[in-house]
Amino acid sequence: MEVWKEFDQNVITHSAAHHLMAIDDLVQRLGYARVSDIARALSITRGSVSISLAPHIKCGLIVQDENKHLRLSEQGQALVDSIKAKRDLMRTLFADVLGVDPEQAEIDACKMEHLLSNETARRLMAFLRFLDADSTRRRRLLQEWRAFDAGCNHDPSDCPSCSGGVCVADALTQ
Amino acid sequence: MGSLSRDELTLELNRVFAEEVEAGTRYLHLLAAVRGMDRLVVERVLREGFRETIEHAETIAQKIRSLGRVPTLDIQVRCPANPMTGREALRQALVFEEAALEGYRDLLRKVEGDVPLEEFVRTQIAVESEHVAQLKELLAE
Repeated sequence: MEVWKEFDQNVITHSAAHHLMAIDDLVQRLGYARVSDIARALSITRGSVSISLAPHIKCGLIVQDENKHLRLSEQGQALVDSIKAKRDLMRTLFADVLGVDPEQAEIDACKMEHLLSNETARRLMAFLRFLDADSTRRRRLLQEWRAFDAGCNHDPSDCPSCSGGVCVADALTQ
Repeated sequence: MGSLSRDELTLELNRVFAEEVEAGTRYLHLLAAVRGMDRLVVERVLREGFRETIEHAETIAQKIRSLGRVPTLDIQVRCPANPMTGREALRQALVFEEAALEGYRDLLRKVEGDVPLEEFVRTQIAVESEHVAQLKELLAE
């Protein structure tokens, strides 16, 4: 399959991920989740919530009881737990390791949380554990990383990002 | 006025305003999405639904204006380009009509004591309940 089409092969959309996470948050906070609570939490209409949730109820990610209270099924809970874990991992990588502003790190992690494969997430978790396993090494690596000058001199022999004819550093300042 | 402040009431009315405008938009899309012979059967129902939801939205906008405010609208509607059968369209209409009905029921609890507004909301509940019942009957569900 062409790589760009992988995006459409994802189990759930960004919007659906937030609907499921809203249910999880509400159930943890209030003990129940109704369509109206989800609509308020996501600042959208009840109609939108109901339309969005219908296929997930049908496929068994969400369970609705006779009082129209919603909860995640075991499968839905596993999916939400995995999305939240991926968000935490990416937020940690962006903010604590790469040094991205925490607010921006949160936004970017949120955009990608439901798209990251389990395989990549596992490798990312292993990398963060590797860093945390030895505090001296972690401190040294981060110090070296933060002191590193990533500026580009546009010399293809010296800069791998320029070797394809496009300077990535320049492209990212546009 | 009931226990809600003018700001709170405006917020609540804006919510049902958004429900109605969004439902109107969805009806418009359903009208265009139904394919085949079913169209002959459901077109009238969907067109009527569209007309009524927009009428309701106008009435709510007028209520907001009577509070000295201007309505705000914050909706996100995504209607995929999938052809639908008449039954699928009616089922979807039932979902958002039931949501609107719940919205009015919620609002009623909040405006108790404000007699004119209570009456207005009760009337809307009656109309929406009739819609829901009609759709259920058509779907035989």
